[in-house]
Amino acid sequence: MDLILNRYRNLTALVAAILVQLVLLAYQVKSNTEVRLIRVWAVTAVTPLARLLEGGRSGSVNFLKDYFVLLDVREQNKRLQTDLNRVQLENQVLRSELDTAERGKALSVFQEQSGMKTVAARIIGNSPGSNGRVVLIDRGTGSGIQPGMAVITPDGIVGKIVSSYPTASNLLLATDPTFAAGVLSQKNRVHGTLKGSGNSNAIVDYVQNEQNVEIGEWFYTAGDDRIFPKGLPAGIVTAVRPGRTVKEIFLSPSGLQHGLEDVLVILEGDHKPIPDLPPPNQSVHLQPLPPAEGEVTDPLNTAHNTSNNRGAQTDLDREVERTRRIGEDQKHVFGERGRGAPDFNKIPDNKIPDPGAAKAAPPPSPTPAPKAPANNPAAPSAAPSVNQPRP
Amino acid sequence: MSDPERPANESSDRLFRDDTKFALGRIAVFQYAAVAIFLFLIAGFWILQIRDHETNSTLAERNRIKTVPMLAPRGKILDRDGRVIVDNQPAFVVQLTQENLKLEHLAPIAEGLHLDLDDLKATVKRYASGKRYSPIPIKRDLSPAELTFIDSHRDPGTFPELELVQEPRRLYPQNGLAAHVIGYVGEVSETELNSSDFASYSQGDLVGKSGLERQYNEILKGVDGQRRVVVDVAGREHQVLESQDATPGQNLQLTIDLDLQAVAEIALEGKKGAVVALDPRDGSVLAMVSRPAFDPNLFAAHIKAADWKALTSNPDNPLINRAIQAQFAPGSTFKPLVALAGLETGSVDDNFSVRCGGGGTFYGRYFKCWQKGGHGGVNMKAGIIHSCDVYFYTVGNKIGIDGIAEYAEQAGIGKRTGIDLPGEAEGLMPSSKWKLRTQREKWYAGETISVAIGQGAVTVTPIQLASAIGGMANGGVWFKPHLVKMAATADPRRENWNLDNIAKVVSGMYGVVNEGGTGTSAAIPGITVSGKTGSAQRVSNDLRKSGKLEKDELQDNGWFVAFAPRENPEIVIAVLLESGEHGNLAAPTARDVIKAYFDKKTRLSKLTQPTLALIQRPGSVVGQAVSPPAVSMATSIPEDH
Repeated sequence: MDLILNRYRNLTALVAAILVQLVLLAYQVKSNTEVRLIRVWAVTAVTPLARLLEGGRSGSVNFLKDYFVLLDVREQNKRLQTDLNRVQLENQVLRSELDTAERGKALSVFQEQSGMKTVAARIIGNSPGSNGRVVLIDRGTGSGIQPGMAVITPDGIVGKIVSSYPTASNLLLATDPTFAAGVLSQKNRVHGTLKGSGNSNAIVDYVQNEQNVEIGEWFYTAGDDRIFPKGLPAGIVTAVRPGRTVKEIFLSPSGLQHGLEDVLVILEGDHKPIPDLPPPNQSVHLQPLPPAEGEVTDPLNTAHNTSNNRGAQTDLDREVERTRRIGEDQKHVFGERGRGAPDFNKIPDNKIPDPGAAKAAPPPSPTPAPKAPANNPAAPSAAPSVNQPRP
Repeated sequence: MSDPERPANESSDRLFRDDTKFALGRIAVFQYAAVAIFLFLIAGFWILQIRDHETNSTLAERNRIKTVPMLAPRGKILDRDGRVIVDNQPAFVVQLTQENLKLEHLAPIAEGLHLDLDDLKATVKRYASGKRYSPIPIKRDLSPAELTFIDSHRDPGTFPELELVQEPRRLYPQNGLAAHVIGYVGEVSETELNSSDFASYSQGDLVGKSGLERQYNEILKGVDGQRRVVVDVAGREHQVLESQDATPGQNLQLTIDLDLQAVAEIALEGKKGAVVALDPRDGSVLAMVSRPAFDPNLFAAHIKAADWKALTSNPDNPLINRAIQAQFAPGSTFKPLVALAGLETGSVDDNFSVRCGGGGTFYGRYFKCWQKGGHGGVNMKAGIIHSCDVYFYTVGNKIGIDGIAEYAEQAGIGKRTGIDLPGEAEGLMPSSKWKLRTQREKWYAGETISVAIGQGAVTVTPIQLASAIGGMANGGVWFKPHLVKMAATADPRRENWNLDNIAKVVSGMYGVVNEGGTGTSAAIPGITVSGKTGSAQRVSNDLRKSGKLEKDELQDNGWFVAFAPRENPEIVIAVLLESGEHGNLAAPTARDVIKAYFDKKTRLSKLTQPTLALIQRPGSVVGQAVSPPAVSMATSIPEDH
């Protein structure tokens, strides 16, 4: 047998290769997965290496940082030898503060307080050919991650999982043109759809020109896209202008504003009411929990009903409204016996109310400045940032 | 003699021969196997590249080049002054692309879009048997939340079969205003698709279903456009290969006047009936209302099953256009035509008088007048003014059924007017020939007595009554009623009626409104309104006495037909109030509509002479009135000199 195999080893190798191919093909077909096995294996094989490399890179960077810090300390030591003990003590204090501000710590605090079941993950690379709008994270199906899951940071939404492998997943960022999420404005409860624009901004679509949205207003997730739980910050409005059919609203996605290193993948979401106040100063990367209060009236319905109630009108609707006003003004009931027909050329004293008048009413008085929630020790001092108008 | 080498050589040769045989045999096996494998591969290639080439290349092409439909907006519907009655508004329709469709996705899609899964499966199945790559529209009336759901799940990794297409949606007036005139649109049905009229349509297309939307569907509908774009695997557009803009449908300008329509709509609110106002000089419909009505906006997207059921099971039949489809006895509004028939046939003259004592006996049966105490001595004018039944029993008896039928039919009773709306009812004008043809019986003279006061077998629609009386008042000239300006006909139908006879009947109708008749509530100071009230039984006396009917069903219908001015009328109006008891209650609606017509006329006439007014009153505020520049200049020049 060995003789035959040796004698015809080329042919044997060819047959073995074909058989393996057929078996793999059959398995691929039978498993009915949309991801090619070679890709799964490649990703699975490369991910530990990528993680190792990332660890090595960050270790090296930290080492160099430490080196320069220590060098600085040494130089200080040379110059101020008498203050050595004090400098070392200050150095330790600074290190401690840096550690506290680390993203991992912030994430864990957020994880504990959000009430949602999440998995922390780290960005380990860009997905090829995605122009940087699909990135790879170091958690996959082994951690319970599935396509369609929402990805957030304490600052806001980041994107959603589009494919997952045993040890890694592809994350579609909120700036990608194929990304979309339902959002609600905080102040005016305007409903729209957040879409990526292909650059660092996002847009909010399907908002009627008549609806009121202001620059600096916050949008939160509406929860109706079946991806993101309601009440997560989505971004802040940077520009608004009336469009041909709908309003053009540009948004700065809050979850992507401070770079991406660590993210949370939501395994089980928890809908929250939209907070009445905008998020506090974002410099610390910690998102306070929404104020503890009862569920607000469903703003989706309010927005929708408002639109319906105002209703698009035709000239016949307006003519009926005008005629009805004439009758009321002259105390005439149409189609009934009485004082004869009205004078249709007499303009009613009180003009027909402008359906948009309610919208033009002055905005409600500003609410007090936001306060840091008591249960959030990491929350910053309360004042909102300069470019964030009060609601 | 033996060769000691021989056995060894033989053994060696045998071994050599065996190896050769072995190798040759095995090589042959592998050769056959290789040939078989290649044949298998070639067969596969043949299937892929030759047999299914068309399908595969189409699939590949569609994966790279996508055709994005651009749906054409339907034409607007405008009133006679160009005001918008029906508009379009932007909306979206969600479709499933068949080439990307996975059946296991239907359940989550149905859940996300609040669709019934079984209905969705049935829709997909229906389309699967049709054009292979035609998209399947699954929902039109999308809420903001559903739009968001679609946008956030139509990426290649989730539900790539979801496609969102912008589609202009019909915007109809609210609360059922002018609903029956306009009609509504809906998806073309399978029955319609099988008819030649809809041969150019595909499943999912919107077509006019009723009213003007159906009548003028071919004019209102546009031609859809499309864009062929290159897309990547994520569906992102990279290049537009070809773009063919959608051609909007043509606008439809109606003869309807919104000033009058609005008054009629308000006057009929909460009532059951119809109003039709015509210009007898050209047949244009100035106003048409039918109540109860329906909201056509329910149909603009896709009517829900519950809404459709509510409409179709409503005992008041809100989908019926009573203005052209309600067939009721005209009651006393028929009397002017009987009077004219009497004068034209010479059976009576206007001095012919009858003594009304509250009733009269004809052919052995006592027929009551509505006025129990009687009207006393009544001639033709008084008979019309006070609507004396005994007078018209007598006149009708003198004319005979065929004489009445001849002139009523000349006026258009019992015939469709030919208005440009689908589903117009015919009404009925009985005659001896009609009875013989339909019931194989001869006409009994006693039956004429009921017909003479607009009861019995005679039935009319409101549009018929308005057209008949309008044509009579117009001197025996009838223009075909029409709702769309371009549908006007230049050649009217003429009957050689004696104008003096017409004037005598009109004199009576003027008295109805202005000389203490039954329709005084329609009087308008300064406007010579002429009219005739009518109260018509809806059920026979026997059924009335049976006690099986509701109170509402027992009450008479109220009719009022009127025109103004008395000579050369410009507007004729018929008002029907189902269960309205008496025509006098219908008269105020006619009064209000006529007043709106003449007030508008006054308003417009003032607008056409603004410059003179400004010159006469130097202190007037310029710009209060707008007039065509030509008029302004023509009047100004002489004054400057």
